[in-house]
Amino acid sequence: MNEKLKQFQKLLKKENIQAFCVLDNDSIRYLTDFFFYSSGDAYLLITQTKAYCFTKKMYAGDLKRKAPYLTLVDSLDIEDVCKKASKFKNKAFDSTLAPYIQGTTLAESGFKTLPNFLEQAQDVKTQSELKLITKACHISASAFKIFQKQLKAGMTEKQGAALLESIMQKLGGQGLAFDTILAFGENTANPHHHNSDRKLKQNEPVLVDFGCRYKGYCSDITRSWWYGSKVSKEWQKLFDLMKDTHDYCATLAKDKVKATTLDNAARDFMDKAGSYSKAFIHSLGHGLGLKIHQKPYLSPKSQDLLKNNSVFTIEPGVYYDGKFGIRYEDTFVLTPKGAKILTK
Amino acid sequence: MRINTTKLKNLRNLLKKNKLEGLIITDFTDTKYFLGDFFHEDESVLLITLKQIIVFSRSLYENSFKSKYKEALFISEDKNRPAALVKEAKKLNLKKLAFDENKELYSAGKLYLKAGFKESSSLISLLRTTKTEEELKLMRKATQISMQAYKNIQKYVKVGITEIELKRKLEDEMNRLGGQGYSFELMVSFGANTANPHHLCDNTKLTNNTAVLFDWGAKYQEYCADMTRCFWFGPKAPKEYKTILSIVKYAHDEVVKKAKIKMSGAQIDNISRSIIEKAGYGKYFTHRTGHGIGMQDHELSDISQINEDKILENYCFSVEPGIYLEGKYGVRWEDCFYMTKRGIKQIK
Repeated sequence: MNEKLKQFQKLLKKENIQAFCVLDNDSIRYLTDFFFYSSGDAYLLITQTKAYCFTKKMYAGDLKRKAPYLTLVDSLDIEDVCKKASKFKNKAFDSTLAPYIQGTTLAESGFKTLPNFLEQAQDVKTQSELKLITKACHISASAFKIFQKQLKAGMTEKQGAALLESIMQKLGGQGLAFDTILAFGENTANPHHHNSDRKLKQNEPVLVDFGCRYKGYCSDITRSWWYGSKVSKEWQKLFDLMKDTHDYCATLAKDKVKATTLDNAARDFMDKAGSYSKAFIHSLGHGLGLKIHQKPYLSPKSQDLLKNNSVFTIEPGVYYDGKFGIRYEDTFVLTPKGAKILTK
Repeated sequence: MRINTTKLKNLRNLLKKNKLEGLIITDFTDTKYFLGDFFHEDESVLLITLKQIIVFSRSLYENSFKSKYKEALFISEDKNRPAALVKEAKKLNLKKLAFDENKELYSAGKLYLKAGFKESSSLISLLRTTKTEEELKLMRKATQISMQAYKNIQKYVKVGITEIELKRKLEDEMNRLGGQGYSFELMVSFGANTANPHHLCDNTKLTNNTAVLFDWGAKYQEYCADMTRCFWFGPKAPKEYKTILSIVKYAHDEVVKKAKIKMSGAQIDNISRSIIEKAGYGKYFTHRTGHGIGMQDHELSDISQINEDKILENYCFSVEPGIYLEGKYGVRWEDCFYMTKRGIKQIK
């Protein structure tokens, strides 16, 4: 049986849940490694010993080969899920991932709501997941080295992004973790810039935020650099500060440390250098896995803890509207020896 | 940038018809339907009322949103957007609001119910089903890019290339021709993999005398193309392969000829299904004849046995009958169409 599914069944035992219904495609992919074409193509009902998959006939052949441990049911009627679960007393679904209409039927049939349960379950990565994330991170980091050399004045942001994306694909990347952000000059000041037809000029800042997927798993990196030899002193000073903040925060990551500790530390660190934290207008980082944003969230109001084998980004940045922005980001895994950079 | 006025007007008419003051929009594609490409997924909630457009999103976006969309009100909310919406609605004395029971999350839906709002089913999905002329134009462009790219990469269909490599050639070529992303994970299958209607590309190499199947489509300004072609690579096509391919093409063409406005999805599905059944391959046609298409490659207006709804003017859908012989090979032939008063017309 799938390692992650086993881990999930253990969690059910620990929480004394006899049956759990999973409705969203991302969680189904997480638990089975099987890729359903669109959401609503399958539901799972997971008990402490079994896993039922309610789906369409057309998936049956492929499922029997790739996920033989699933018991298939040829129905997508949520009432049939309720019937199958009728003998269980303690049953639940994740109210933050279930569509309203199916959730209502489940709730009426005695399922309890457990918000954020599935996201929590995906927080600590298994060894095989870590391998895939590491691979995705290596591809992205290697692609960047090639890309940085090939990016030339005169290219537009859109062309540059397409170039980087195609390098990642060539190196074995399987799709994008998110739409690549490539910003030139004053556009770097917008942390979520949409790539435009603006061309790269000599002596201006560049910011690229990108990541590929490997077998569904994400990677995430941001690099900022100055294109040309006449580096602005102000830019360089802030770049060094971002890099130092990033390195410093990484040393604070330990098992069971609060995620807010790191976010606060980043802001304090910047302020010691001269009240720069006002220009740090987003959170320090986020967890990632099959989804690009998941727990643990390294933000001012987060309630998450960092745990060994959790994977997250550290990405301090400062933004000055009309001038420039700088962000420095890597993907890390937390090990008993501390946070380890995967994107290198 | 202006928020599309035709789409807004259509939505507001629909609101009036349903005696609603406003609609809560959470679904990522629905948001893009009105605002275009701005937010990332799960970052915004949109409230469109008879008079206003209110966006609840991360404070990070406040400045860039305000400079881009002048006609909408932006409310910064980093934590609980549904709660912020309920608060704002109270302030504006808006009561007759609805949310989509198919797309809203259970937790948010419960909150909205408590605030006195009500469930609606598929209002925006219905709106999105009828394409405007502008949307059709974008879908044509996406289709042209996809078809041209397919033609251009035929030279790489050679012994030894893998499915993943060939898929990448197709992706690169679509991007080179102006495609903006993919409608779905493109499918290139060789040999027995063609018998799996939703095969994921792997490192299978192309050998001589093998079935080949492409199912692909580029996006253009958020709109999808979707098509399938299949052929036998090499001179020795088995007789049965030729037979099932001609049955499927015939079934496809008969749908094109016979599908008429106001037929139900089930009636149209029946045109191709009955042909394949009569030929003795009914149980190997394991999926519906087609699906709705637009900003997503699967939308309402299913051409399937279970859709009793009428297919109306400017509904867009695929026609893609297939036959799959497990362990051997499979065939499928697919194009996309829109309904007109005089039958269906290919998007091309």
